[in-house]
Amino acid sequence: MPAAPSPRQRAAEAPGPPVGSRAAEAPDPHAARGAGEAPAPGVYVHVPFCAHRCGYCNFAVDVGADAGLRRRYTDGVLAHLAAVAEAGPRALAPQTHHGGEAPGPGWPVLGSVFVGGGTPTLLDPGDLARLLTGLVEALPLAADAEVTVEANPETVDEASLATLAAAGCTRVSIGAQAFEPATLAFLDRRHDPEAPARAAADARRAGLASVSLDLIYGVPGQTPEQWEAGLDAALEAGVDHLSCYALTLERNTPYARAVALDGVPAPDDDVAAARMAAAGQRLRRAGLRRYEVSNWARPGHESAHNRMYWRGGDYLALGAAAHGHWQGRRWWNLRPTQRYLARVEAGQAPTGGQEILDEATRRAERLLLGLRTAEGVARAEVTPIDEEAAAALVAGGLLADDGAVLRVTEAGWALADGLAVRLLP
Amino acid sequence: MSYPLDRIRNFAIIAHIDHGKSTLADRMLQRTGLVEPRTFRDQYLDRMDLERERGITIKAQAVRMPFTGADGQDYLLNLIDTPGHVDFAYEVSRAMNACEGAILLVDAAQGMQAQTIANLYVAIEAGLEVIPVLNKIDLPAARPDEIAAEIASLLGGDPDDILAVSAKTGEGVEAVLERIVERVPAPATRDDGFTRALIFDSIYDSYRGVITYVRVVDGELRPRQEIRLAATGFHNEIDELAVLSPEPRPVDRLGPGEVGFFTAAIKEVDQARVGDTVTGHADPAPDPLPGYREPTPMVFSGLYPVDSEDFPDLRDALDRLRLNDASFTFEPESSAALGFGFRCGFLGLLHMEIISERLDREYDIPLVTTAPNVGYEVDLEERTRRPGEDATIRVSNPADLPDPSRIAEIREPVVDAMIITPSAYVGTVMQLCEQRRGSLDSMDYITEERVELRYALPLAEIVFDFFDRLKSGTRGYASLDYEPSGLTVADLVRVDILLNGEPVDAFSAIVHREKAYEYGKAMVARLKELIPRQMFDVPVQAAIGAKIIARETIKARRKDVLAKCYGGDVTRKRKLLEKQKEGKRKMKAVGAVEIPQEAFVAALSVGQD
Ligand SMILES: Nc1nc2c(ncn2[C@@H]2O[C@H](COP(=O)(O)OP(=O)(O)OP(=O)(O)O)[C@@H](O)[C@H]2O)c(=O)[nH]1
Ligand SMILES: C[S@@+](CC[C@H](N)C(=O)[O-])C[C@H]1O[C@@H](n2cnc3c(N)ncnc32)[C@H](O)[C@@H]1O
Ligand code: SF4
Ligand SMILES: [Mg+2]
Repeated sequence: MPAAPSPRQRAAEAPGPPVGSRAAEAPDPHAARGAGEAPAPGVYVHVPFCAHRCGYCNFAVDVGADAGLRRRYTDGVLAHLAAVAEAGPRALAPQTHHGGEAPGPGWPVLGSVFVGGGTPTLLDPGDLARLLTGLVEALPLAADAEVTVEANPETVDEASLATLAAAGCTRVSIGAQAFEPATLAFLDRRHDPEAPARAAADARRAGLASVSLDLIYGVPGQTPEQWEAGLDAALEAGVDHLSCYALTLERNTPYARAVALDGVPAPDDDVAAARMAAAGQRLRRAGLRRYEVSNWARPGHESAHNRMYWRGGDYLALGAAAHGHWQGRRWWNLRPTQRYLARVEAGQAPTGGQEILDEATRRAERLLLGLRTAEGVARAEVTPIDEEAAAALVAGGLLADDGAVLRVTEAGWALADGLAVRLLP
Repeated sequence: MSYPLDRIRNFAIIAHIDHGKSTLADRMLQRTGLVEPRTFRDQYLDRMDLERERGITIKAQAVRMPFTGADGQDYLLNLIDTPGHVDFAYEVSRAMNACEGAILLVDAAQGMQAQTIANLYVAIEAGLEVIPVLNKIDLPAARPDEIAAEIASLLGGDPDDILAVSAKTGEGVEAVLERIVERVPAPATRDDGFTRALIFDSIYDSYRGVITYVRVVDGELRPRQEIRLAATGFHNEIDELAVLSPEPRPVDRLGPGEVGFFTAAIKEVDQARVGDTVTGHADPAPDPLPGYREPTPMVFSGLYPVDSEDFPDLRDALDRLRLNDASFTFEPESSAALGFGFRCGFLGLLHMEIISERLDREYDIPLVTTAPNVGYEVDLEERTRRPGEDATIRVSNPADLPDPSRIAEIREPVVDAMIITPSAYVGTVMQLCEQRRGSLDSMDYITEERVELRYALPLAEIVFDFFDRLKSGTRGYASLDYEPSGLTVADLVRVDILLNGEPVDAFSAIVHREKAYEYGKAMVARLKELIPRQMFDVPVQAAIGAKIIARETIKARRKDVLAKCYGGDVTRKRKLLEKQKEGKRKMKAVGAVEIPQEAFVAALSVGQD
């Protein structure tokens, strides 16, 4: 594969679907595709390191890794990347029994990269940049590819973000969670309330095209006023994308233990529903569009990567515990960082497990993912469904059905999973 | 070998539940050397899985034991171990009909309990020689002298004459065997040339057909003999003739007084009914033995497949269960809410539980069971009778109760209940019985500390949670026995439950008018707890006719979505939803409301006091 000197140049040469400068295009080129069309594949890279584990979080996270291990990890992921790129896409798809000698198809053009965590920005900015450059060199990325790095607010500044931008990063997603000390303390967050806005401003100055914040709602003790004030603060920080997640009680977390043993309050569904509705109203007034249960964006700033997930797209998985999907095969990499590293350093595949989806399972996934989105899901992709249930949900005002596409109504957002369960045949 | 009549002793062990009947049978089996130590296990005769799991006897079991007495003679002892639970009281009566004597076993710590006394009366009525025996004398709490005096005061005789054993350690068991030889009369026979054998049990076996347990009274049975069943007229040749000792052992003859079983290619238990007489086909006895009544169901409940496609499978399963249990009845019915199912009749709640458990275990058909109810008789208003309609109808499903304007009179089943309680709790027990519409018939002090109360009570008031209340109100000391005593007129109404404004027939219940309001309120509150929040608000109402007497609302679920998709981990999320979907499949959708199975028996957990 020819080497490319820089991401920008590379993008201009990339074959595949028409590409162009984001600014010149229609506000939301991806949305024009609508439900049902195959999105461009993506890459997910997991970076498991965190400075400490937040009480509510059960993501694959390693606390206390030293600089040496973080560098080794970067090298390990790059080695893994090289092996995957070399093997080609055929190695990712469900294995067919016949053939093998004929060279497989080459890589399709990829539309997005997401470096998530953990805390990717705990890596040395140079290492993160190496990772991004490595990706761009190894795989054909579209010119308008979205390249997101997840960032904890206290771990970035203008300089480090500029380094990422130079390496091809187009978007940051900053974990703000809340803007008042009490809620941050409940969540066991270590940054000060001003850090997220500072980080967002730094990102703008560093030239990143899209800036997103993560917020958590339904935190016990947080008042409705505080929640709305937090939304205002996020908007004031000048972001063009917001992810608002309902606090979820995850198993095997310090929070879950505190709820079980110390009488710490668990999140309440009714409270969460009220906060979610408030966010919907507040953000619409501010000109953001809700395009998924937990995601709002200014037109054109929807996350292509996340949208690819919800459309059932294909994505590579790099890094410990990362999940991948390719044409009906789902797999995940080994979780403990050390085991992952041992494999990739030995030139072996670090796969921890996989499942091959049958047709019914694929339809079920399309349904449950598609109903999370504003664009909905094409009936053709999910038939058969429980038509009686569908009719009842339409009559109850939770589901919209134009005969071709099923989507949740405004009232249905908060019940999307319940709808999916009922529509499953 | 065949035994002369005067060497045969047939006896049953009867007692209150858990007083140690099956354990005493164990010791006898071991004493007579029938069971090798290697294969022995406790309560050896409780063979069914359900009996072993619950530690109770459900089916009576007969065993034949050779025994050499102190007099040096060889005897043949036929023992029948009986169940203690009131639901299976009919098994005890059957067993006694096949015996000349009964060991009345009494726990020396607990003393006489309701079933002790009830069974004692049955034994006396059947003309049996009753041998009282104290058990569990190894227990530190045993009070053998006191309890012996109690028994003697009821049975007459000398308290010192009452045998005391520990079925656990085996102490005293030898003496019991000797006493059986000594006191239980040898069987009598008429010697008129005819064969008469009493069927006291019949069991369906998928390989051999019906296995018929008999006690020969007159004449004899042999393999290849042409026999005829007096009541059904069924006739065939005996294939297999055997005794249980305690494992089946073929014999070439069963003579008068002997107990055993045979097969004769009988396809259904209904052809070999318990109580029927086996006689010779060529020379049938002109006067068959007096049989006994089949027990009639006391409680009814609807059984519906969650998935209507399982209906034929459910019918097959019920057919097969009935092959083995003639005391349970079923007939098809339909419900607006639940579709097609069966109204099943049971002897009591334990019986119902056992049948449901067997259905679940052996057939794996997801079922909705409706709250049990008793059966009623309704006289219709003459002027409202439709052509061909009887003047009196039976109602075993509350939804079938006619409109009040058509009812001249409703009668409900009543029972004679006997409660034995320490005298300290008499007040509590009387209060409970009064709440349950009981009327006191008699009160007797068995001793200064123990009282026997007799009440007439509506069956509907005691068959469900009464026993638990009685136990908790008396710290476990009171015991209860009852038997049906007919029907009496009562002021009853039907309380309907509406979900979303629509009546759900499976929730209807017949209750006393004075309790209807309270019942309705409790029931809607309970349903609100049991029915999960749905996608829409669901009003729950209780009504008598058109009049709403209680109301609650199950608020719509406001959030049912996971916030995050966990990066690319779609597998995890999908599995969560698949699990939810599985949960849903176990629920019954009635209109737009998904109802978990527990809700259909909510009435059982509605406090009535
Ligand atoms: N300590 C002591 N326990 C006994 C004795 N006899 C029986 N038990 C225990 O009492 C319990 C009930 O014994 P079973 O033999 O099952 O009683 P049962 O009368 O057959 O019970 P049902 O068939 O359910 O009516 C068991 O836990 C026995 O181990 C005894 O002599 N001493
Ligand atoms: C994978 S985390 C990584 C983000 C980054 N490490 C940070 O915390 O800033 C992405 C987002 O998921 C959300 N999240 C994680 N656990 C959650 C939970 N238990 N309930 C709700 N949201 C959660 C948080 O908003 C977090 O920012
Ligand atoms: S920093 Fe982010 S990934 Fe790390 S523990 Fe906290 S929420 Fe989880
Ligand atoms: Mg027993």
